[in-house]
Amino acid sequence: MNILIIALKEIKTTLRDKRTFTFMLLFPIILMLILGTALSNAFSSTTPVGDLKLLYKSDIADKQLTQFWQSFSQAIEKEGIVSVPIEKGVDGKQEISANHYAAYAEVGDQGIAYYGSSKKTIESNILQGMLTAFADKYNLAAAAMATDPSLAEGIIRDANDSAAKYVKETSLIADKQPGSIDYYAMAMTTMIALYASISGTLLFWVEKKRNTIVRMIASPVSKGEIFAGKVIGCTVINILLVFAVMLVSKFVFQADWGNHLGIVLVVLVTEVMLAVSLGLVLSYWKGDSARSIVMIFTQISSFIGGAYFPLGNSGESFMGFISDLSPLRWANQALTKIIYNGDLGAAWPAIGLNVGIAAACLFIAVVSMRKKEAF
Amino acid sequence: MNVLEIRNLTKKFDDFVAVDNMSLSVSEGEIFGFLGANGAGKSTTISMVASLLRTTKGEILLLGKNIASHGKFAKSNIGIVPQDIAIYENMTAYENVSFFAGLYGLRGALLKERTIEALEFVGLSDKGKAYPSTFSGGMKRRLNIACAIAHRPKLIIMDEPTVGIDPQSRNYILNSVRKLNEMGCTIIYTSHYMEEVEEICTRIAIVDHGKIIAEGTKEQLKAIITDAKDIWIGVKSERPSAIDNLKQIPGVISVRLEDNVVKIASKGEINNLNQIVQQLIKDQIEIRSVEEQAPNLETVFLTLTGRNLRD
Ligand SMILES: Nc1ncnc2c1ncn2[C@@H]1O[C@H](COP(=O)(O)OP(=O)(O)OP(=O)(O)O)[C@@H](O)[C@H]1O
Ligand SMILES: [Mg+2]
Repeated sequence: MNILIIALKEIKTTLRDKRTFTFMLLFPIILMLILGTALSNAFSSTTPVGDLKLLYKSDIADKQLTQFWQSFSQAIEKEGIVSVPIEKGVDGKQEISANHYAAYAEVGDQGIAYYGSSKKTIESNILQGMLTAFADKYNLAAAAMATDPSLAEGIIRDANDSAAKYVKETSLIADKQPGSIDYYAMAMTTMIALYASISGTLLFWVEKKRNTIVRMIASPVSKGEIFAGKVIGCTVINILLVFAVMLVSKFVFQADWGNHLGIVLVVLVTEVMLAVSLGLVLSYWKGDSARSIVMIFTQISSFIGGAYFPLGNSGESFMGFISDLSPLRWANQALTKIIYNGDLGAAWPAIGLNVGIAAACLFIAVVSMRKKEAF
Repeated sequence: MNVLEIRNLTKKFDDFVAVDNMSLSVSEGEIFGFLGANGAGKSTTISMVASLLRTTKGEILLLGKNIASHGKFAKSNIGIVPQDIAIYENMTAYENVSFFAGLYGLRGALLKERTIEALEFVGLSDKGKAYPSTFSGGMKRRLNIACAIAHRPKLIIMDEPTVGIDPQSRNYILNSVRKLNEMGCTIIYTSHYMEEVEEICTRIAIVDHGKIIAEGTKEQLKAIITDAKDIWIGVKSERPSAIDNLKQIPGVISVRLEDNVVKIASKGEINNLNQIVQQLIKDQIEIRSVEEQAPNLETVFLTLTGRNLRD
């Protein structure tokens, strides 16, 4: 109950702060609108479906499997995907790093190995979506071929009948390309979630500055309850703000958030948790300068994490490595895969990293809090 | 019964001893004055009683129970008015009182009733919906008090509740302290203003360098220094250098200047009035009146600590 009282106070006072609204709501929405409109041309020209190029290497000895593969590549070609057989002596993986293809597949009697481009993220995701569905069947058939060829025939026959169908299905998703407003709706929402770290640094700082922490500690409410109440309140209000930004982008700007809103929200929630705990632990560690540190950190993370320009199609490998350090990049990659590829599994790395780091930060914060006399 | 008992209390900040083996007890119904110059250790002592700071040594008993083992009980029975105003600027006066009272377990109708009562008590009932950012210094101080009393604590600790406010608010606060006391609250009152302490406190402790150097009623304290006197000289103009010269005269303990009155504390047995007057004339300061007084608390304080209460 005490936790609830403190959390509600936190939410109420944050809502009253006009700066919260300007910064956490107005700012991302306006940026979304400006960037989304200004860069709309850049978007439609850089990621058309026609650019989907798959490089493959075929080492198939078995006739049926060869046919199976060919019927698949014909099917995807109808959907506008170019599949190119690899030339002798060329290293497929290098072609991917060199950014010539969105994906590379090695097809053999044992099965299919798939390599996606880490730069052409969007294209690679789409191709992966199609290939995984096919590869499941193919690998099964390949395995059966080694032990029971008649069983393999059955699998291939069944699959061939439906091959066109599932390629159609995935390609429907493949047609979903992020327009500029879609991209910036996502990027600004994940950016603003990261900005929750600022309220994390202020959480106890304001209470100390106002001296109200004295009253809290003097009251019979335990330090743990105070801590929990404040952290929960701060996290909840920031989640609400992030949701508000998302809802505005969805219903006012008609941005595409895909068909899996639930898991999208979970990614955003964990990102806010990460941000708040990061800010909190910094405020223990760095005191008054925590806020500036967090400001710089969030801005750099936003910049390299794709808040202002999409990273999927750009950048050298060094930039790619750096941007992988940005929590925004994790979130944006996960959300892109969920929204445009229906790949729900892509949420886990982001959720895992967010929750893991948040838990570590909270742990350190609690330990520092217990050591200190006050907070 | 003793509401508060402090036994051999010590607080060190690293090597610095802020409170030094202090013992004192406050019984029920008292308004206990805590007098001391800047840095004497008043707030540090209070903070330990209110569980805001850990003790280095010693123990504190509230209503007979050790606060180290009965933290929740102690905290529930104490109301603290911090020296630095502790209120939320972005919450209304009502919300401030209600929030803090809520932390003491008050809920629902009772919470509402006590919140209104506390606001009425400090004369802010018509300001319940207003934000403290629109308040004067005195009103903020009063709200600071309201936030400490809504849960009806047995012991109210006020750490300089009247700093920097207008005389009207000050009188209001002093009256409410008396009223709280009449209602059965025991009060610990810290102040830099001797007159306040002299006016409302039933017992006074003088603190210096973390130690209690004297304790008792005002009469008892004044009786400690029968060998001192106060000389008040009304002057037309004032000059700091003249004050320094006065300090050189034998027997003079301290000199301070208040509203064109040079207030000199001097040893009783030495007759130095002539010398003092002559020095002032020499410094071309026009004398308007000379008065010799029995020692007041301020003199007691000066004699015991060698310091002014206020810098
Ligand atoms: N957290 C702290 N760390 C180090 N020293 C401290 C701390 N708090 C107080 N002190 C020191 O302890 C001494 C006593 O401080 P305290 O605040 O108790 O004095 P006080 O009697 O309340 O003075 P004032 O009248 O100015 O409020 C001072 O010298 C102060 O500098
Ligand atoms: Mg003090």
